[in-house]
Amino acid sequence: MTMQKKLARALLPAAFAVAASTSVISTASADEVKFGALYPLSGPLALLGEESFRGLEIAVEEINANGGVQGMQIVLEGGDAVDQNQAIGEARRLISRENVEAIFGTYASSRSIAASQVTELAGVPYFELGAVAHEITNRGFENMYRTNPTARHMARTHIDMILEAVAPALGRDAADLRIGIIHEDSNYGSSVASFQELYGEEAGLNIVMVEGYPATNVDMSSIVLRLRERDVDIVMQTSYQDDSILFLRQANERGFEPSAIIGGGGGYSMMPTAEAVGFDVIEGVLNADFTQYAVNEGFAVGVDEFVEAYRAKYGSDPRSGHSLNNYAGAKIVLEALDQVEGFTPETIREALMAVDIPAGTTAVGYGAKFAENGQNDAAFMMGMQWRDGELITVYPPDAAVADLEL
Amino acid sequence: MDLIFTNLVNGLMLGALYAIVSVGLTLVFGIVKVINFAHGEFLMVAMFLVFFATAYFGVHPYVTLVVVLPLIFGLGMLVQRVLIEPLQDSDEHIMIFATVGLSIAMINLMLMLFGPDIYSTPSSGLRTVVDMGPAMFLTGQLNILIAAIALVGGIHLFLTRTQLGRAIRATGQNRAAAQLMGINVSWVYMVTFGIGVSCVGLAAVLIAPLYPTSPEVGQYFVLLSFVVVVMGGLGSISGALLAAMIIGIVDAFAGFYLGANVKDLVVFGIFLLVLIFRPQGLFGGARNMSHVS
Repeated sequence: MTMQKKLARALLPAAFAVAASTSVISTASADEVKFGALYPLSGPLALLGEESFRGLEIAVEEINANGGVQGMQIVLEGGDAVDQNQAIGEARRLISRENVEAIFGTYASSRSIAASQVTELAGVPYFELGAVAHEITNRGFENMYRTNPTARHMARTHIDMILEAVAPALGRDAADLRIGIIHEDSNYGSSVASFQELYGEEAGLNIVMVEGYPATNVDMSSIVLRLRERDVDIVMQTSYQDDSILFLRQANERGFEPSAIIGGGGGYSMMPTAEAVGFDVIEGVLNADFTQYAVNEGFAVGVDEFVEAYRAKYGSDPRSGHSLNNYAGAKIVLEALDQVEGFTPETIREALMAVDIPAGTTAVGYGAKFAENGQNDAAFMMGMQWRDGELITVYPPDAAVADLEL
Repeated sequence: MDLIFTNLVNGLMLGALYAIVSVGLTLVFGIVKVINFAHGEFLMVAMFLVFFATAYFGVHPYVTLVVVLPLIFGLGMLVQRVLIEPLQDSDEHIMIFATVGLSIAMINLMLMLFGPDIYSTPSSGLRTVVDMGPAMFLTGQLNILIAAIALVGGIHLFLTRTQLGRAIRATGQNRAAAQLMGINVSWVYMVTFGIGVSCVGLAAVLIAPLYPTSPEVGQYFVLLSFVVVVMGGLGSISGALLAAMIIGIVDAFAGFYLGANVKDLVVFGIFLLVLIFRPQGLFGGARNMSHVS
């Protein structure tokens, strides 16, 4: 290779990098306020990362159309949190080069945990609208806030749903039901499962099996056998998509028919899961997740308007509830920021701590009241059921569009 | 007794799955002396091919073999020619980096093209349950078991009874000597890599109706297939089959009696013991593992 060619090869990526970074620089003028939007927009988490970002975008457009915050138009500066390292790099860029007042994000818990370490050190507020890991708001951070329900809320909904809806629907005493907890063994599944155990034992439920498995498992027949040998009535599975499909299929094929299967989020909410296992197999399966669209509009006030705005902007129906939850969370935060003057971390904290929104008044149904650690303690997850090929809300009764049936 | 039988059958079915994915890996290792870390990604690409061919032509997934095999064989030859061959005489670590890089590139290319969604190939009756009293399995699983045994037998016959097979083995034993005997070594490597990758082409056709396809699916199978290949003796094809069966059965019994969270501990514990006491693998003899000789 000639010297020129070598040089050209070495310099080409650098030239691209410079071109790419200069093209995205935007400056906020006097009547604008700039926030960062940090989501995985490429890589394996891109689909729901982008879906989450769309919710934030719609909230910002709506608020800008109504005069913005503190009379200023909001400008979003995007960052791509494709992995933990890049989440950190992008958070640094947003803070030091773009001078954002705060960052919104992130969908994926691991990215949120990584990026918020940077913002906390820099004293920049971080608004988490969608990541569920318990620890995000339990690290003693001063500028970390989270609007969405977490792993703990998911377990709470699972247990409450068993006590108040599943046991009555089966016509049995909740304490007589034999409960099996299975979960993928990363932070997500393990943390939900430990709260299920905690709340389940507090409520006097009979938990006969708790078992983790790697999410990359290609066979769950031994778990199905174990559940069957223990005469489990209710299975709770916290999982991603492939392991949800694997479990539902293998349970069905091996003739294991518990009285109820209750899934946790992710895989259980998605239409491709239902299509893969078959609508007849998933019929009646329960799930706890973020607020979705088949929900009582009298309780989730504004959900229809959100779907309309989404269709108008993106030309399709929302692909999951992530956009809705990011939308509602962003509105809670931005409307609070409109009540104070300036964007210093102190005024932002003051604004958030003053928030007190009752349930049944937002597009996601849940209310907002922030605890000292920044977590929205008024958030909760909805109980849902697959019925006739659709995932509909069945719990709590205020938000339900139909009764839970087994 | 019933439970033992149930677990045994589950283990055999799981073992067959690992076997059919591992055979190509061990073949490539034994001859080309490349540890192909992108092996799982060839499976993934082939599964996508099965999905699209099934959807496009509206045929039974097994029929897509006639399309998938030539395509994946060609892709394998191409990769050998443009990526592995130029690095053949460089340090082994470089080749490892090359195949790891290929794996990452393939996953991300598919993510870019198709997103992280799952694609379900129609099961076309292959998820029909065969009920043998306490043991139950799917017709598709039984087919994998039969195919795995047939594949191992077929490759054995091919390597021992055909001119090309003998040339491949000769190249595997001593590249320089094979070249002196007039064997086109570069061509043999391309064909071998192509055949190795075609084995996952066959595996993909059998697996796609049972497991959803996604860009990450290769990763699910590949870790255990490395264990299988090393345990069976690197390069030993029948060793891979037996090791896969052992791992499948251990997996099923440990999963049932000890729990899913402990079964990997048992599987990898046994793997470590094999490495300590029989580093050449259960069925591997002394082999020429140098890729330059």
